[in-house]
Amino acid sequence: MSETYDFLFKFLVIGSAGTGKSCLLHQFIENKFKQDSNHTIGVEFGSRVVNVGGKTVKLQIWDTAGQERFRSVTRSYYRGAAGALLVYDITSRETYNALTNWLTDARTLASPNIVIILCGNKKDLDADREVTFLEASRFAQENELMFLETSALTGENVEEGFLKCARIILNKIDSGELDPERMGSGIQYGDASLRQLRQPRGNTTQNKQQCNC
Amino acid sequence: MMERAMEQLNVHLSRLTRSLRRARTVELPEDNETAVYTLMPMVMADQHRSVSELLLNSKFDVNYAFGRVKRSLLHIAANCGSVECLVLLLKRGANPNYQDISGCTPLHLAARNGQKKCMGKLLEYNADVNICNNEGLTAIHWLAVNGRTELLHDLVQHVTNVDVEDAMGQTALHVACQNGHKTTVLCLLDSGADINRPNVSGATPLYFACSHGQRDTAQILLSRGAKYIADKNGITPLDLCVQGGYGETCEILIQHHGRLFQTLIQMTQNDDIKENMLRQVMEHVSQQSDSHYQRILTSLAEVATTNGHKLLSLSSSYEAQMKSLLRIVRIFCHVFRLGPSSPNNGNDMGYNGNKTPRSQVFKMCVRQMDVETIQKDGCSWTGSPFLDPLELLWHSLDEWLVLISTELDRNRKNPSSSSTSSSEIASLLLKQREVDHSGSTPKLPSSLDRQIVMETEAYADGEDVISMTASRLSAVIQAFYMCCSCQMPQGMTSPRFIEFVCKHDEVLKCFVTRNPKIIFNHFHFLLECPELMSRFMHIIKGQPFKDRCEWFYEHLLAGQPDSDMVHRPVNENDILLIHRDSIFRSSCEMVSKSTNEKLKQGIAVRFHGEEGMGQGVVREWFDILSNEIINPDYALFTQSADGTTFQPNSNSSVNPDHLNYFQFAGQILGLALYHRQLVNIYFTRSFYKHILGIPVNYQDVSSIDPEYAKNLQWILDNDISDLGLELTFSVETDVFGAMEEVPLKPGGISILVTQDNKAEYVQLVTELRMTRAIQPQINAFLQGFHTFIPPSLIQLFDEYELELLLSGMPEIDVQDWCRNTEYTSGYDPQEPVIQWFWQVVRSLTQEERVLALQFVTGSSRVPHGGFAYLMGGSGLQKFTIAAVPYTSNLLPTSSTCINMLKLPEYPSQEVLRDRLLVALHCGSYGYTMA
Repeated sequence: MSETYDFLFKFLVIGSAGTGKSCLLHQFIENKFKQDSNHTIGVEFGSRVVNVGGKTVKLQIWDTAGQERFRSVTRSYYRGAAGALLVYDITSRETYNALTNWLTDARTLASPNIVIILCGNKKDLDADREVTFLEASRFAQENELMFLETSALTGENVEEGFLKCARIILNKIDSGELDPERMGSGIQYGDASLRQLRQPRGNTTQNKQQCNC
Repeated sequence: MMERAMEQLNVHLSRLTRSLRRARTVELPEDNETAVYTLMPMVMADQHRSVSELLLNSKFDVNYAFGRVKRSLLHIAANCGSVECLVLLLKRGANPNYQDISGCTPLHLAARNGQKKCMGKLLEYNADVNICNNEGLTAIHWLAVNGRTELLHDLVQHVTNVDVEDAMGQTALHVACQNGHKTTVLCLLDSGADINRPNVSGATPLYFACSHGQRDTAQILLSRGAKYIADKNGITPLDLCVQGGYGETCEILIQHHGRLFQTLIQMTQNDDIKENMLRQVMEHVSQQSDSHYQRILTSLAEVATTNGHKLLSLSSSYEAQMKSLLRIVRIFCHVFRLGPSSPNNGNDMGYNGNKTPRSQVFKMCVRQMDVETIQKDGCSWTGSPFLDPLELLWHSLDEWLVLISTELDRNRKNPSSSSTSSSEIASLLLKQREVDHSGSTPKLPSSLDRQIVMETEAYADGEDVISMTASRLSAVIQAFYMCCSCQMPQGMTSPRFIEFVCKHDEVLKCFVTRNPKIIFNHFHFLLECPELMSRFMHIIKGQPFKDRCEWFYEHLLAGQPDSDMVHRPVNENDILLIHRDSIFRSSCEMVSKSTNEKLKQGIAVRFHGEEGMGQGVVREWFDILSNEIINPDYALFTQSADGTTFQPNSNSSVNPDHLNYFQFAGQILGLALYHRQLVNIYFTRSFYKHILGIPVNYQDVSSIDPEYAKNLQWILDNDISDLGLELTFSVETDVFGAMEEVPLKPGGISILVTQDNKAEYVQLVTELRMTRAIQPQINAFLQGFHTFIPPSLIQLFDEYELELLLSGMPEIDVQDWCRNTEYTSGYDPQEPVIQWFWQVVRSLTQEERVLALQFVTGSSRVPHGGFAYLMGGSGLQKFTIAAVPYTSNLLPTSSTCINMLKLPEYPSQEVLRDRLLVALHCGSYGYTMA
């Protein structure tokens, strides 16, 4: 009846207009490039169940419009996101320069713990490159982001981007850094977690307390 | 020789004596078939001595099987619990494992009927407990089905495999669980039954317990470590509990498998699950404790929020997400309204009767607090943490509406920008698309996961965000309204919501103008809140009559508990017993004796001394009673100038009880409308307006004084500056023979009527004649009417429609109409346009014909005697069609006072039909002087 998964993660895809956010999502979900993509209106939604480190995780992905006029609408979707793909276009310095703003938005509005992966999209257009891999990876390092260059056209690194983000969140859950039971964590247990996670509820809180020591 | 004969005779005699003394045969017949039927009744009655005696010297085969099911006497004994006979038969060599035609052994039958002693004896004689009948059932299955734990306990020691399966793979534990026999289940478990054993379809004992809501049994299984396993179709025990609405069993499942809580919450998104069952379950779980209550609400709020956001994603299915969101919010509001269970009642499972009142009290306190908080803070719920997730959705909603407001501004500021013309076309197309979209219920495969239907490609660069999002946002607004309302005491509109509507007034109006269906689909709040309703009234009135009727009744009956139950047994005391010879008085008495609530639930009428009851009698009652109401003897209503319509009599006070009677008349009319019964009265246009609370105008005067109406018309039509009329804002009336000057407004006697203020004068004079003179009567009537029909609902209609609602659709005889029609200004009956006109009229629906009649004559009724008797402003005036030169797009017009249709000379029947219908649907009410 309902599909089974261990966890559900709420993801965001953010970044300036025209960087290929919707195409990344489409590639991830449909495994093909989205021709004639238009500007997203408001926020779009997609989901896919993936397997990460032996766990099934349902990714609930909110693909936001990059256009300024939708900014206040899209912001209202940020809260409670566990992970985000922050997308810029390697052929457009403007979209790269805007990253700081997007990042501040995400960290203040979503959650300070949000796991963000920086995606330099349109890797296939290397000839028109305006942002080098090096400077972007330096930016990522300074801001504690993971970094990948992706191509929604060829599909290169697209899956990796989403999966990497999910994997880090899972690690944080295992280490107790993230508590799925906390409200607004952007994480929910799925049906399947019943079988693997039969430990009493007290355990998780204990873990957390140990971490805090 | 003699001796032998004597001896034989003696034997015979003694046999005869014995037989006579015992009143039965004393010797078994030779053949088994006859013998067995002799023995059977004795075995059944456990007459073991007789049986023993009969069997003593006979050659009867104790294993002889007889009857349709081929049972032996041992079966019979076991079945009936005839233990002595059973032993006797066993001793005589009966086979304890003999199987009848269905494969049942005596032990099966003994087990099925709980014959403890027989079972014991059969076991002593080595009956095999492991034999299956043809369905695979063994003795322990039988014991388990009926919960015979004690017997099972004895038997189970002899059983080699307690998990023996029947043909469906069911073990004794399965059947015991299904039937909820707790001790039996325990006994089987103690005997080593497999607690997780699946049957052929993968159903486990826990599954069986849940499928029948066996709470205690589920509890036992879970505490013994039963696994939570779905069947082969993926249906889980929780699914079964929810399908059956077994809240208690759900609660037990959740207690043992905490994660199921989320699963339960997620189920609210599943369209296949019955909402009432789900609500029942949620209700139960929420009442377990305060924390349960809070957790359920928080989780429901989270799911609702996710769903709301999905709904606002343009690629999602509007239909599916909208339904899902509203369902979740309905459940949320239901649980919220329950309030938390009272704190010291947590372990009680809510069984005791004291609970409700106590939690009610608690709820009231919470409500009170909420109201105060809201009043203090204006618009926040500081005291309700579980509303927090929903705040995200409302925040998004707010942002969306702000965005759309900006879009509207932008469109307005540069209406002639380069993109306009093309985008206008695009937006028209999109609007069309949107309609198709919501109308055709796109049945997308629900496997939305691997699929993301990005339809946005088709949209023109997001130009028309508004039409793409309007219905989606409207559904979220409806959800918002529901959530706001559930925080408020019944019948109060939340200040927060009112503020919301005020803030987004412009956008909401824009939505409704673009797609008025939204009102019916999502803006239910309008009816519950008159101050909000008035903002949208003009748009509502523009909707088809039929849609408004549906809406009207939907809301009118919404509060009735059993509105769907048509055939309710009638309580003898609730029958209105009416005397035919004093119908008015006795009806008045009976109705005033009954309560409004009862009358709303249903009316049953019986005439004194008559048998008849039922809908026909009710209809007759309304019919003749309405005729009595206008009976001149009561002086309540007077006939108007046209002779067919009525309005309150300004002199009705000759009847000292008149105001009570008016109230009664109002009640009857309201009641008739409530129960969709038609009455046999037609009121004047102005009185319908009074019922609706619409101001009257000078044309309405013609119904009581056509000459005077003409004069008023004349004043308005002509410049009165230089006429020297010397009119003031006052009128002279005859009060008991003395002429008195009555001012139309304060100081009116000294205010002159001029060209500039003549319109006001006409209006005031009209009100004096039409309203002020009968104000007390109107008020009394409305007081009665409103007991059944709330003013906010009746507002949905105009005076013409109210007439149709109250008095029904008149039959229109087109032939008669055609025969009594005259033609002027160049038309004659042979004219093609006239031929086309009648062809079109014949093709119209009954409702449209009435509209056409109303359009031309101002009345929906054909006079008694047919169209020949149609009245105009001054005497008989036949229906007339006049020619008007055709220019493109010209619509037909009419002069109602002379029953004239001004029909342009249309070039074809199609054009005529099209224009006529436009005129009928837009213009059958409301006058402009043409």
